Amino acid sequence: MKAKIIPALLWLVLASGWLALTASSQDAAKPAPPAADQQQPAGPQSKAEPTPSPLPTPEPTPEPPKKGEAAPDFTLADLQGHNVQLSSLKGKAVLLNFWATWCDPCKIEMPWLVDLQKKYGPQGLRIIGVAMDDASDKEIAAFARKMGVNYMILKGTEKIGDVYGGIDRLPLTYYIDRSGKVTDVIEGLASASVIEDDIKRALGKANSTAATGAK
Amino acid sequence: MPGRTFVDFVSASNAVVSPGHSAPIQFTFRVQQPYHVNSSQPLTEELIPTQLHFSLPAEVAVGKLQYPAGQLMSFPFDPSTKLSVYSGDFVIRGLIMAPGSAASGTYTIHGELKYQACDNNSCYPPKKLPFTFNVNIGSKARSRTRR
Repeated sequence: MKAKIIPALLWLVLASGWLALTASSQDAAKPAPPAADQQQPAGPQSKAEPTPSPLPTPEPTPEPPKKGEAAPDFTLADLQGHNVQLSSLKGKAVLLNFWATWCDPCKIEMPWLVDLQKKYGPQGLRIIGVAMDDASDKEIAAFARKMGVNYMILKGTEKIGDVYGGIDRLPLTYYIDRSGKVTDVIEGLASASVIEDDIKRALGKANSTAATGAK
Repeated sequence: MPGRTFVDFVSASNAVVSPGHSAPIQFTFRVQQPYHVNSSQPLTEELIPTQLHFSLPAEVAVGKLQYPAGQLMSFPFDPSTKLSVYSGDFVIRGLIMAPGSAASGTYTIHGELKYQACDNNSCYPPKKLPFTFNVNIGSKARSRTRR
């Protein structure tokens, strides 16, 4: 009797051990509880395959800033390597001009901008020329010297182009008032008188006292 | 981001060449209205010239490229300054050459036109226009011997 019981008991122990092993491996194979940000279908939990993480969607290029909107802030390097942040010029009217050495219409308006910087600088105008160029800093600096540029030149990047809605046409000029809002946008070359009118508007928007010279 | 284009590839002439020989070829491009592109020799050094480039297999060479002369034009943005430009259709000529060891067959060649376009008051960033054309390399021509 004993001889029959022992093998049976042994079999029982082995079988229960096997069952325990298979149960624990099934637990390991169960999908992890879903993360809080993953959507789950309503209804009883099923033994579904884990949901793969969605691919990151590329960020869309922002729309170009429009009149009345805040000009997107940025930090760019000048030709000496110093960083300049647009928001540091709050309180000034800014003419933000995107240009390139290979852009002939850009070259036409540069002497006008030089004259306007001289004329309206004392009233708080700051002209910034952002070079959207593959030319070296040395070449851009030489070009700016040749043109007699008396305003800030910054080196443009792909990122600044994206921030301003994708720059695919030059010259492109934003007029920004003393509070940092866009007052005008000009795509392409405009006449010197149109540029001057837009400068006056940017200067007069937030501080008419400064524009009229009254104390 | 593809962006807009300003020049279209129209055609390449039929290119058939025997190993060890050369044959003329021409490439026709069309500048869309109302744009113009700088010619291959713009009048100032900052301007970006129109240039043709190729990715070539060992069996094919392209040489002696002849660009057309640019039209001298002035534009409303600067009536006093002349620019050397292409507008409308323009043709670039060259020679296709096959070394003596080239195996016969049809080869698809990849070319690229680099250009920079403007209109009457704006300029647009430089672009590259890819295109392909076929070159047929025939069997070796029989040599003629004088008697």
